[in-house]
Amino acid sequence: MEYPRTVTELTESLRQGGYLADRGLATTLLVSLSLRRPVLLEGEVGVGKTEVAKVLAAVFGRQLIRLQCYEGITTSQALYEWDYARQMLQIRALSQAEATDEQSVDKLFGPKFLLERPLLEAVRRGDRAVLLIDEIDRADDEFEAFLLEVLSDYQISIPELGTVKADSSPVVILTSNRTRELHDALRRRCLYHWIGYPTAAREAEIVAIREPAVAGQLTRKVVAAVHRLREMDLAKPPGVAETIDWVRTLGVLGETELTPDAANDTIGAVIKDRDDLDLVRENLAEIIPGA
Amino acid sequence: MPEPSDPFTSVLVGFAAELRAAGLTAGTGDVLTYFAAMTPLDPTDLVDLYWAGRATLVSRHEDQGVYDQVFRSYFLGADAPAKSQLVLRAQSVAEAEAELVMPATDPGPEEDQDQPHLGWMASGADTLKHRSFTACTPAELAALHRIMTRMRLTPPRRRTRRTRPAAAGSEPDMRATIRESMRMHGEPPGRLFFRQRKTKLRPLILILDVSGSMADYSRHLLQFAHTASHSAARVEVFCFGTRLSRITKELAHQRVDVALEEAARTVVDWDGGTRIGASLDKFVRKWGRGGLCRGGVVVICSDGLDRGDPEVLANAMERLARLCHRIVWLNPHKGDDRDFRPSTLGMMVAAPHIDLLLSGHDLASLEELAGLLPALN
Repeated sequence: MEYPRTVTELTESLRQGGYLADRGLATTLLVSLSLRRPVLLEGEVGVGKTEVAKVLAAVFGRQLIRLQCYEGITTSQALYEWDYARQMLQIRALSQAEATDEQSVDKLFGPKFLLERPLLEAVRRGDRAVLLIDEIDRADDEFEAFLLEVLSDYQISIPELGTVKADSSPVVILTSNRTRELHDALRRRCLYHWIGYPTAAREAEIVAIREPAVAGQLTRKVVAAVHRLREMDLAKPPGVAETIDWVRTLGVLGETELTPDAANDTIGAVIKDRDDLDLVRENLAEIIPGA
Repeated sequence: MPEPSDPFTSVLVGFAAELRAAGLTAGTGDVLTYFAAMTPLDPTDLVDLYWAGRATLVSRHEDQGVYDQVFRSYFLGADAPAKSQLVLRAQSVAEAEAELVMPATDPGPEEDQDQPHLGWMASGADTLKHRSFTACTPAELAALHRIMTRMRLTPPRRRTRRTRPAAAGSEPDMRATIRESMRMHGEPPGRLFFRQRKTKLRPLILILDVSGSMADYSRHLLQFAHTASHSAARVEVFCFGTRLSRITKELAHQRVDVALEEAARTVVDWDGGTRIGASLDKFVRKWGRGGLCRGGVVVICSDGLDRGDPEVLANAMERLARLCHRIVWLNPHKGDDRDFRPSTLGMMVAAPHIDLLLSGHDLASLEELAGLLPALN
């Protein structure tokens, strides 16, 4: 499926995929699709940064290629690696004469022995892929610098094979939780968008799309409660993902009403910190009014 | 790119110039991207102009407030420069007016957020005045600078997940082994190659008290922070009096006087009261929880004269101790007293979580810190 050309079409397609994008996010994505610039998404935890890439891939029939970053990630985990075990076996199988032969050496460093990792795979697939570089802030500076090269030209050189270049660049989405300041050089190559917490009405809409089976009234109550939680002085305020989890949990338990008892039993779906839990339990009556 | 009908080009270029004047870094390349971004969009639609600009010209969350402000005055104000030059769809202007309210009231830069709280947060000692750090006497500055440039702050090291080739190690280096094998025409190499885990400097986080009771030391401390941020691998610097401000960026300037001047502009509560608990709590919530100090060494420099609730300080210290690797506390009142016992309430509350208590009242004690730092493993 072709990528759409207007913001309205894109918003509608994403909505069909179960993702509600506001005007700003949709505009940024549309610009990224037409200019083929990577998008850097930052925002609070659990507001759907990763989800954007997943839905884009699902809705437009692209393959989602995900590179989860972590400290110490290296080129052999992100780009490619030679299949050393098979190379070793192959060498053992070669006779003395064959081993000195140019061609058999070429074969040894040919596509057959190359293990593709996410970045190479994305460059190979080009437009047929959506590349998600998740939590780039977890990788270290060295990796970020290396990424610059890939993201500006969409080409990767493998000394033994030559340069692999994307015939059409893939859609690239980077996410960051801001645990570390990213370099300006990387920021400058990307379009930037900040995803904040949605308004209550919008959040209810998001939950309704994701959990259509749950009654609208319950959803609205949960969303209202979560918004009160966010106003509280919590160490870890709940994100949209937690709201959806909470609604889902209540749905599984067959609750139709958000009573303080039901909330008390299921609060673990939204609050994930012991100190916060104590604070919330104390103030449960204010968070869920009408008790 | 839309056929740049001249008024359109000059409006966008003018807008970028305004942004630059307001302190954003919008380079020529970014402006070109802005133009290109408008291609699939509608150049007469103000909402599109807004979002495309925000995606291409802003690359930091902190800058969004400034962008919104400039956009408002440039495109929407009563005597907005863009209005006379650009034909905008009337409907879109109305839409933009409606939509722009939202991003502008977004909790943008933290300063705005703090403003309303100041009323009750400040005990009255919150003087909120700009005070120049550059008031050092030249002789003092020169002497300090000479000594401090000799000083190297080396935080302890930790093992990373990265590896490097080594004579002996825990992991075999398959790549090197195969290469060697190729060199020998496929014979297994005579020896195995290994890789070993690399080590890396831990991050160093300086949190400096610049309140009234610490004023005599604060100037030295900022000098010290400047040197520190240029000597070790990754250093973050924060200041607090009644509220916390991050001055890492401001101190990044090579020249010490420029850096201190920049920092002075950022720290607004210089010489005011102290709220250690609230400031550390803010640090933990806003920066620590995100992972800024994880595995790092936190150096807090304060006399512990807290006017806030001691429980807040205790909680913040406990959380901080769980988040970071080691906490060093510099208390100038300790002086050279070996049997120093914390007498202020703040110090007593914080004491259980402190790994190393030093004085930091003179250069010698700062050198002592530099000497002890690498061993804090």
